[in-house]
Amino acid sequence: MAIVEVEALRKEYGDFAAVEGSTFSIERGEVFGVVGPNGAGKTTTLKMLAGLIEPTDGSAVVAGFEPGEPAMQRRLGFLPEESPLYEDMTPRSYLAFFADLYGVPRDVAHDRIERTLDRLDLEHRDRRIGNMSKGMKRKVAITRALVNDPDVLIFDEPASGLDPLTTNYIIEFTRELSETGKTIVFSAHNLFHVESICDRVAVMNEGRIVASGTIEAIREAHGGTEYRVSATVDASEGLRASAPDANGPDVDALEVHRTNGQAEHVVGDMAAVEAIRAVVEAEGGRITDIQTRTPTLEEIFLEIASESSAEETEP
Amino acid sequence: MTDGRDPDAGGADGIAGSARPAEAETGGLRGRVTRTLRVARWEVTRSVGTVDRKTILVVLAMVTVAGVVGLAAVDEGLALESELYVVGVDEDDPYHDVAVESTAFRPIPLSDVELEDGSEDGNVDVVIADDRIGHVGTNGEAAYDAFRGAVETYNERRMAAEADETAAYPVLVTLEYQDRDLGDPVGGDDLVDDEEDSTDLEPEADETATDDGADDDAVDEDDSGTDDREHGADGEVDDGDGQADGAGVDSTVDDTDDDELAVPDVGGGHAAEQTAPGTPGTLSPPFPFQSLVLAFLFVVPMNFVIQAYGSTIMDERIQRRGELLLVSPAGRLEIVAGKTLPYLLGLVGISVAIALAIGGGLLSIGAAIPIALAFLAATFTGAMFARSFKELTFVTVTISVVLTTYAFVPAIFTDVTPIALISPLTLIVLDLQGDSVRLAEYLFSTGPLYFGAAVCTLQGLGVYREEDMFTQKAIPSKAVDAIVSQIDAISRRVHAYASPFVLSALFIPFVFAAQLLVVAVFFAVPEAIALPVVFVLAAAIEEFAKSIHVYAGFARSRFDASLRVATVLGVLSGLGFFLGEKLTHAVQFVGLPELTVGVAAFGPALSSEPLVLAALFLAPLVLHVVTAVVGALGAARGRTSYAVAFVLATLIHAAYNLGVVSLVG
Amino acid sequence: MRRELRSLRSEKTIVLAIAIQLFIAAFSSFLVVGLVTMYDPSGVDGHEMEVALTGEDTAELLAAADRQDGLTAVSYEDRSQAHADFDTGQVAAVLDANRDGDDRLVVRTTVPDEGLATTVLVVQLRETLEAVEHQERLENEDRLAETPLPIPEAIDASPYVGFTYTILLPLLLFLPVFLSGSILVDSLVEERQRGTLELLRVAPLSFVDVVDAKLLATAALAPIQAIAWLALLAFNGTAIANPLALVAFVFALALLVVAVGAGTALAAPDRRQAQLLYSIGIVAALVVSVGLPEHPANTVAKFAIGNPTSTTWLLLALYCLLAAVAVSLLRRGVRRLEPESL
Repeated sequence: MAIVEVEALRKEYGDFAAVEGSTFSIERGEVFGVVGPNGAGKTTTLKMLAGLIEPTDGSAVVAGFEPGEPAMQRRLGFLPEESPLYEDMTPRSYLAFFADLYGVPRDVAHDRIERTLDRLDLEHRDRRIGNMSKGMKRKVAITRALVNDPDVLIFDEPASGLDPLTTNYIIEFTRELSETGKTIVFSAHNLFHVESICDRVAVMNEGRIVASGTIEAIREAHGGTEYRVSATVDASEGLRASAPDANGPDVDALEVHRTNGQAEHVVGDMAAVEAIRAVVEAEGGRITDIQTRTPTLEEIFLEIASESSAEETEP
Repeated sequence: MTDGRDPDAGGADGIAGSARPAEAETGGLRGRVTRTLRVARWEVTRSVGTVDRKTILVVLAMVTVAGVVGLAAVDEGLALESELYVVGVDEDDPYHDVAVESTAFRPIPLSDVELEDGSEDGNVDVVIADDRIGHVGTNGEAAYDAFRGAVETYNERRMAAEADETAAYPVLVTLEYQDRDLGDPVGGDDLVDDEEDSTDLEPEADETATDDGADDDAVDEDDSGTDDREHGADGEVDDGDGQADGAGVDSTVDDTDDDELAVPDVGGGHAAEQTAPGTPGTLSPPFPFQSLVLAFLFVVPMNFVIQAYGSTIMDERIQRRGELLLVSPAGRLEIVAGKTLPYLLGLVGISVAIALAIGGGLLSIGAAIPIALAFLAATFTGAMFARSFKELTFVTVTISVVLTTYAFVPAIFTDVTPIALISPLTLIVLDLQGDSVRLAEYLFSTGPLYFGAAVCTLQGLGVYREEDMFTQKAIPSKAVDAIVSQIDAISRRVHAYASPFVLSALFIPFVFAAQLLVVAVFFAVPEAIALPVVFVLAAAIEEFAKSIHVYAGFARSRFDASLRVATVLGVLSGLGFFLGEKLTHAVQFVGLPELTVGVAAFGPALSSEPLVLAALFLAPLVLHVVTAVVGALGAARGRTSYAVAFVLATLIHAAYNLGVVSLVG
Repeated sequence: MRRELRSLRSEKTIVLAIAIQLFIAAFSSFLVVGLVTMYDPSGVDGHEMEVALTGEDTAELLAAADRQDGLTAVSYEDRSQAHADFDTGQVAAVLDANRDGDDRLVVRTTVPDEGLATTVLVVQLRETLEAVEHQERLENEDRLAETPLPIPEAIDASPYVGFTYTILLPLLLFLPVFLSGSILVDSLVEERQRGTLELLRVAPLSFVDVVDAKLLATAALAPIQAIAWLALLAFNGTAIANPLALVAFVFALALLVVAVGAGTALAAPDRRQAQLLYSIGIVAALVVSVGLPEHPANTVAKFAIGNPTSTTWLLLALYCLLAAVAVSLLRRGVRRLEPESL
């Protein structure tokens, strides 16, 4: 049963559509990544889920309620990209206030806050927040998102602007949270983190979801595995001449790199590999090497982004 | 879509996990109230708990020093006038002592006096030679007048020291106020006093009893303190003790603390009634000045509280801090209410304390609250619109000045004209004077402020959301956004075209207040200049109220920029304004028939012919619709053409007003 | 400096500041006109009010009342007739004058309870009775240790002069000074909060330069506005005697206040506390300055009306000195300040 259901969600600012009809769902306990370039509509989407922005059209249901309903907000933990705190408060008083606002009884809140701060190794709990480092502030912010023991966590760029060590620490902590059964919606620039902890991702570009599913499925659908066939001769011309038929191997995408007498043919499917082998043999050359390579999410993402942008500008 | 899971079972008992409290699920009104109170409590602890200890110490130190020095200086007064004028007088002249004794004068010997331009100017203001007193220069007359007062004071002081009291105070006066029914009451008396007035021909015996305390004072002072007494509330009229004119304002404040506190002002009538014989100098006219200054005390703390309040609202908008409250279960109304509550309660508490201290009753508190609400609501909206603290400072100063003016200026005319009632401060003055006020008068006085505060809050709440509150837009653009959010709200509930109608009607209290303020401010200006200015400004205010929301709708593409749509919107806006205006007038007319404002607004009855009356009634409707359409047509085409159309509409409106007035006059 | 001026101009704060002050000026002048008009019976239309005189000794009162502008006294033999006429509105007041055992004149006055008209009436009655009192005292000369001095003839003098010089003008000159300081507090606190001061560290300016520029730009606002006010007042017929001294005074005060504001903004942890400290500090300073030989407002009044004493000039020099000291102290403090602590 999906804990987050999003149907044709749309947000317009005047004439500009920041998000155009996003549809997706997230299962309980999943870590769901939203990736895309700046201005793709990630933050707007997350804020609509969090009840901060009212959608122009479409619907969302989070933890059984519409965003904006107090019952939903109570089950939600939200960590905005920049989470400025009240500089003149101490972590303890700040967190206690939010726990109170969410109606958490004082003793429960105290235990929960202390335990989370212990886990995050935050020492100075009675120091002014204004005097803390960025990493420490982020830890306080994360603790705040957890004071109400939420079912769904929305993390907008949880590691942005932090040093690699703290980043890893926070990613690790996010993974732990997901293991305890929390549903986490996560946005990031750094696709390495998305790849390492997300079960499924949605790739956004220019307000649209251009791809979604498990990372494997996306990889399969976009680019999939690449074959690099090295031969002593360049088979590209022969290949084009021999494969006029549309059902034949995809030769349009063929790339050829020439290096000291060798030609490396990059193709996308086995049929093309077979066709190259045939042409090479017919031209009297030989195959010296065949490699398969799985692209990183980053590469897929760049490809999808450029594809969808190209589509966008075509008509 | 409910997942059917018992939230308390809490499937995931995470790192921070534990059973979810049942209390958290409180919904409905109780939940709202609880969350509001939580925000309020937090606001208090945050404001109180986080003020630096050092800051508190420094503030305390400064207040202590200022307090000690200030108290020490109270006896001497602020001495703002000290040695303001120079008087040329020789030491053997009897008037020399007067100049020495009075702080406002600096005596110089006649030999040092230099006159220029044939005694037109010189280094003195007043010259005393050969028992003649003359004045010199542009400020000579004022100096002479002040000197005359100084002589009177000097004499009083000598007399107070005389052993033979009956010789020094050969005249004794008693003063008795008596109501009389003349049929044609003078001034605003009928409005100000209670109905019982008119039938009560007997001298008000009860006053004699309640005023005993004051009378004893007055008699005692015959021996020793006539001067002190004069130094106070009536020092201004005497003009005698170097505290003339404006400085009297200050000394009165000091004085009222001593005098007024001791005299509970219970029964009706004026505190100045004098039934036991006193000297002529102890007569104090029934001037509301003292009550006015006391009433002003209610407004003073509001000016300070809104500084802190604006700051805390602005704080939420800096660096998107407010986002975290917005994602919490508390809705924006609860957040704003919670953040406002401590300040409102603080102001109410202060008002109650002031009322207790100066002898005001429930009415004073009831009149102070709408003023406080207006201050807070305007500051809230201002803080939602301001881009930076710097801008906020100016916004709060503007609010302080405008609202203080609005409250204070009309109250000056408490006993003069019923229009004074537009300010709730007038109610406080009346209350302090012991007059009673009818419910209709209370509503007339406070209604616009309650209503205005509500509309302001609504405007501010409209932009209290993620999309608007963190963006850095210029104030006008923010204001347009705020209006558009109201248009959206109305469109959702009724229809997009309903918004110009509703908003035009909603803006009427502001129009009313702004126009009265214009009249008040230009009251002192010569009529030849003031009248045309007031006409044009009054028209501009109305045209602005009728067209700004239409412009906002067009500017944010809420309406199609077509001729037809603009015309429809204009007609609806004009109609809404007309109906709202008439409704306001009708309410005033029914509630306060004696109030001349109603008559002035309806215009004097020109004819009893039904046709003429109908035409008179409908003419403003036509006017409002025509000018609103002009405005709307301009608004549809962008900012520049809106500005042009606005000016045009204002001119048409002003010409109409002028036409009506010349027709009547 | 130029950047600072530009940013100020672009925010239209100056326009706003001036508009607000114009408003305050209109407000206060209106206030004074309103108040003084009500105090000054001659300001209200001078129609004559008739008062009834009864009792055994009315001669002196009758003479004094006739000398009084706006009062006409009518003698009544019959006291009840006087009260009857009072009730019908034919007379505005009844004065019953009799001698008591000590040969004092006891006047029982009955006035209507009718708002402003009564106020005017009581003021006039009081003046009349005081004239009678003065006359009686002179008759008692032999019983008095000191003879009362003759009171000079009353003339029609503008009642606004004292107010204009001692309240309005100081208010108009001090307000820009206070606002300048307030602007600087906000400007520094805000840059600190938004982190833009940190950016300045990489700019080719030192922090002292930045503070200098801000200081001068905001402090310069006050004398500019002061000049505008002085010109406006002069245009309206209020002669200003020492404009240069006044402008110098305002500039010195503005530098002093702005330097104090900058120090507060850099020392206090946040805006509320900075503004709290700043405003209370300024108010406290105004109160404490009562201890000076001349209150600053009195200094302004003396310069403007043209009667400065040597103390007034010395105080002006003192304010200039204080401003210089405050600015140099601030600069020294800023130089020592760690940029990281901002």
